[in-house]
Amino acid sequence: MNRRSFLTAAAGFAAVAFNPDVLYAASAGVGDWTLGVADVEADLAPQALRRVHGRAPADLAGKLYRNGPAKFHRPGGSVSHWFDGDGLMRRYAIDDGQVSLSARFVDTAKRRADTAADAVVTPGFGTPGSKRASVGGADDVNAANISVMMAGSELWALWEAGSPIVMDPDTLETRGPKTLRPDLKGMPFLAHPRVDPDGTVWNLGVAGRRAVVWRLGADGALQSADVINLPRASYLHDFTATARHLVLVLQPWIHDRLVTPIVNGYSWRPEAGTQILVIDKADLSRRRVFETDPFFFFHMGDAWEETDGTIRFDICTSPDPKFAVEGARAMVEGRKPVLTASPDLRLISLHPDGRTRIERAGLAAEFPKADPRFAGLARTKTAALGYGPGDNPFHQTVDVRDWKRDRVDSFDFGPRHLLEEMVFVPRPGGSAEFDGWLVGTGINLDARATELHVFDARRVAAGPVCSWRADVALPISLHGIFKEA
Amino acid sequence: MTSPRIKTAALLLSIATLQTAAFTMLPLNTAQAQDAANVTVTFTGIQSPTGAIMVGVYDTEEAFAGGQPVQGLRVDVAGPEASTVVAGLKPGRYAIKIYHDVNGDGRMNTNPFGMPTEPYAASNNAPARMGPPVWADAVFEVTAGENAQSITID
Repeated sequence: MNRRSFLTAAAGFAAVAFNPDVLYAASAGVGDWTLGVADVEADLAPQALRRVHGRAPADLAGKLYRNGPAKFHRPGGSVSHWFDGDGLMRRYAIDDGQVSLSARFVDTAKRRADTAADAVVTPGFGTPGSKRASVGGADDVNAANISVMMAGSELWALWEAGSPIVMDPDTLETRGPKTLRPDLKGMPFLAHPRVDPDGTVWNLGVAGRRAVVWRLGADGALQSADVINLPRASYLHDFTATARHLVLVLQPWIHDRLVTPIVNGYSWRPEAGTQILVIDKADLSRRRVFETDPFFFFHMGDAWEETDGTIRFDICTSPDPKFAVEGARAMVEGRKPVLTASPDLRLISLHPDGRTRIERAGLAAEFPKADPRFAGLARTKTAALGYGPGDNPFHQTVDVRDWKRDRVDSFDFGPRHLLEEMVFVPRPGGSAEFDGWLVGTGINLDARATELHVFDARRVAAGPVCSWRADVALPISLHGIFKEA
Repeated sequence: MTSPRIKTAALLLSIATLQTAAFTMLPLNTAQAQDAANVTVTFTGIQSPTGAIMVGVYDTEEAFAGGQPVQGLRVDVAGPEASTVVAGLKPGRYAIKIYHDVNGDGRMNTNPFGMPTEPYAASNNAPARMGPPVWADAVFEVTAGENAQSITID
């Protein structure tokens, strides 16, 4: 080997060694799903999407906002968990059959500190961070990367252990952390608020065995914030609500150690089972605890109450927290994928006599979404995303489970697509459940581009009625909302 | 995700000592006139021009972490900057921690989970690192005569 070829080889090795995606891809011939966790380096100026399939529904108009981690690696050190990338807010404006996409990073204290250090120094959910990091409060580590909501005229980027971060809904300019009342500055606000059909927003913020119950008006103004005690310090990413009750599923993944990163402070204790805490919205001291088998979960659907008082809700459960602890780390560390059991869509019933019943849909799925007009009310359908075969951690099918008719309406995009959560958008003038569209995005791996898909929510198996394609592939986002025009 | 919260709660326990010490001029480490040292402390970056800045001056790592200050001062705030003179110190090593009592209630306010809702800072602008600023970051040398410290508040 002459010196020139040695240098060429060395340069090639260096490139492999410093890019975890390439490292894993080179060593194991991994699928190119790692495009779903690729870094975005800069904000995306508005660009028109190109229609590649079908025709846009004439009366579909509004903005799809989606949030998710999009910057994972930095020269001086990278995140070690998918959930710790910087939040990138994406805005798909749909009008008259045309779609315009723009995206901006949430300008958080964390992103500013990591950018200045040219390294991920800020600790996170699964990233230890550096002793160099200046951390004086939760909003110093707030990645604002999980979800999004509208609060009056403000767009809020949501994390789960810090404040909402206010953004301009048109320009996506960051205005900073939201303090709902001076004495509540820095209180946690979960990424999954529940919205009553009248627009009232319920949310929680959790600190160990205590939680704040937030209640906001449809205009985003604070109505009340009350601190309650919880029976255990479970990891609580999501909760649900009926018209009358809040429903908190307290899984046996319990915070019992003060260590960094946070994920290492939880212990999986299946022997403790799962507790389900039901709280009266009108009197938070009125509560009831149900007991059931152990399971892990991230996401739930809206709950409802039958006339006999039975509470039902859908939930995507796993046998253990292996994905949260290991799988989501391997995804961004360029390591061999950690195979974990896919979440299972289930319907849980809490009966007035104290019995708990768990009904399986026979469907491996995540990101359950329902018709928001039925939030807290009896309904029959749940939309979710299903998995393909192999080690790809992302999704390739859109599924609508009908609990009443015991059937699934499904469309399979195949293994060359990575899908993101579908949200339901009502058809103007319609009122029946799922009379409208499922709107969602994903990456087309062959085109190496992000696509936007619209389904008739009652005819999913027919495939998308319209699809558009961007010029770029944005990494897989977590959650979104549709703001009707 | 409780770790930053809980660790920062420890910060409060140490800063809370300012609340009892702020008006107590303790003679412990006060210098004799001939070798007296003064420190002019300037506060910048004040976001809310109300209330007062509560200042604690410490001469040991133990005291800084949660004991009594050698001097405690209250500095009224009326604009984006404020200053005070810590007078009559013996030359030596000191560290300062402060909080901005924005609403003037004489307490460092916290949210229901124990996190500060009013700004705090330390000499050398020592950062909070998943907990209160530490002595090693905040300590500075005071020599006989005039000395200066600038602390950014918000």
